[in-house]
Amino acid sequence: MQTFRVEGRLLRILFYAIISGMLFGLFFALMSLGLNLLFGVMRMVNLAHGDFVMVGAFIAYVAYTHGILSPWLGLALVIVILGGLGFVLYFPIGPRLTGSYDPEMLSLILFFGVSQILEALAVMVFGNNPVAVGYHVLTVKPVNLLGQAYQPSWILAAGVSVIVILAVYGYLYHTRLGYATRAIMGDREESESTGINVHRVSAIVFALGLVTAGLAGVLSPLVIGSIYPTMGLGLTITAFAVVIIGSLGNPLGSILGGLIYGISLMLMETYLSTWSTMVPYVLLLLILLLRPTGLLGKGVRRA
Amino acid sequence: MSHKLLEVTQVVKVFGGFRALDGVTVQVDAGEILGIVGPNGSGKTTLINVISGLYRPDRGTVHYQGRDVTGWNPTRLARRGINRTFQLPKPFKSLTVEQNVDLAAHYGKKGRPGIADPLEFAGLSNIRQQSASQLTTAQQKALDLARALATAPDLLLVDELAAGLNPVELDALAQKLLFLAHQGMGLIVIEHLLGFVNQLTQRVVVMNAGREIFEGTLTQAAENPEVVAVYMGE
Repeated sequence: MQTFRVEGRLLRILFYAIISGMLFGLFFALMSLGLNLLFGVMRMVNLAHGDFVMVGAFIAYVAYTHGILSPWLGLALVIVILGGLGFVLYFPIGPRLTGSYDPEMLSLILFFGVSQILEALAVMVFGNNPVAVGYHVLTVKPVNLLGQAYQPSWILAAGVSVIVILAVYGYLYHTRLGYATRAIMGDREESESTGINVHRVSAIVFALGLVTAGLAGVLSPLVIGSIYPTMGLGLTITAFAVVIIGSLGNPLGSILGGLIYGISLMLMETYLSTWSTMVPYVLLLLILLLRPTGLLGKGVRRA
Repeated sequence: MSHKLLEVTQVVKVFGGFRALDGVTVQVDAGEILGIVGPNGSGKTTLINVISGLYRPDRGTVHYQGRDVTGWNPTRLARRGINRTFQLPKPFKSLTVEQNVDLAAHYGKKGRPGIADPLEFAGLSNIRQQSASQLTTAQQKALDLARALATAPDLLLVDELAAGLNPVELDALAQKLLFLAHQGMGLIVIEHLLGFVNQLTQRVVVMNAGREIFEGTLTQAAENPEVVAVYMGE
């Protein structure tokens, strides 16, 4: 009798770790999707990716300090602000980078600079201390599922992530612009000769990359707690791990990578919590050793 | 004043210290096929890359339908009616054969009539729904031709499309290119197979080291001492 009860409890804990890992992982899939899109379409390595997540988080913070207790306005603001910024910002930098002799290396350096600037600006405006965004949903009672309590905030974050990811997939696989985007991922020169306006499509993708990062930022108080101007660096590294686990240049890979990352992280937090922050790095090393092209990779990476 | 379809004048293209094109002048009329032959590295593909906008020439001009299009990007030229095939075609592998061609028709055509069914023309109508990642090299080349034709070009630049084809396929391809010229399209055909070029046109430019060393018929070329020297070695 005694052992049965213990086994049942262990099983429920394992089940909890997996389900919460999936919720967590979906958020991280969204958080890293843009990094993968930018690399796939433009061969840009966006080292400032996490900082755009941070910008999204502080947009939400500003809305919150003006008395908006739900994340929806923050999400809408991010789409408008980062979408517009991304589209406009592409034209002075994108064509030069993609036309250069080594877009990957040069973009790495460029976005390192962007990252420093964004961090410095955020510190100047909001200060160095972590701030909290107290969305109303954070105060809602945990949801009971099969004997375990789950945070409604996590469910909301995962739900919004799924919707955004599905929207990006709808764009990529069910619109003509999405076909054109995938054509550019295939080959830039052929795309140009096909009459596709490569730079306009790239600008849209650049905007999409910043928007998905920013949306993850708005959701981040729901998943990772308080926000601060230097949070970007850690997020960039996590996003790189997620993207490489899935496979660089393949947006589908981000979802797989996110789920694997989320579930492994939660399993570690459950059973070996002091080691859990090592998860992204260990996964990254394992993948690079065992399957350098990522789980969904086809060996197309030239980096 | 009437213009030629394409007038390339004294075009120079330098890569580092290497003059890939060293003052090339060629002209093509509508409905005409110009053959370009020459040894590897003589600048044939570079010339096509300059005309199609992939490279910006360092000197010289490209006029198309009487308009100066020097330095235009490939997208703009494709929409204006200049298209090309690639020596190493890279079809969009995440799309089907048909989607590859639909994209070209949607983005490149811009109101010109063009061929009704480029896939049928290229002999790919039985694999429309197949993923472009599963094509053989010959099918990839055919798809590249269909993609170029879907943009309804007035000027088609053909870069070694015949490589690797058997005699029957070569003959069929020659008939197709002649048909396109007959429809009023101007063509520049780069080819190593002289017999194939002979089937297409009497007007041939022989290139060597970035310059034209001969223009005329293939038969005359065979009697020209400089051409013979380039081909046979001195």
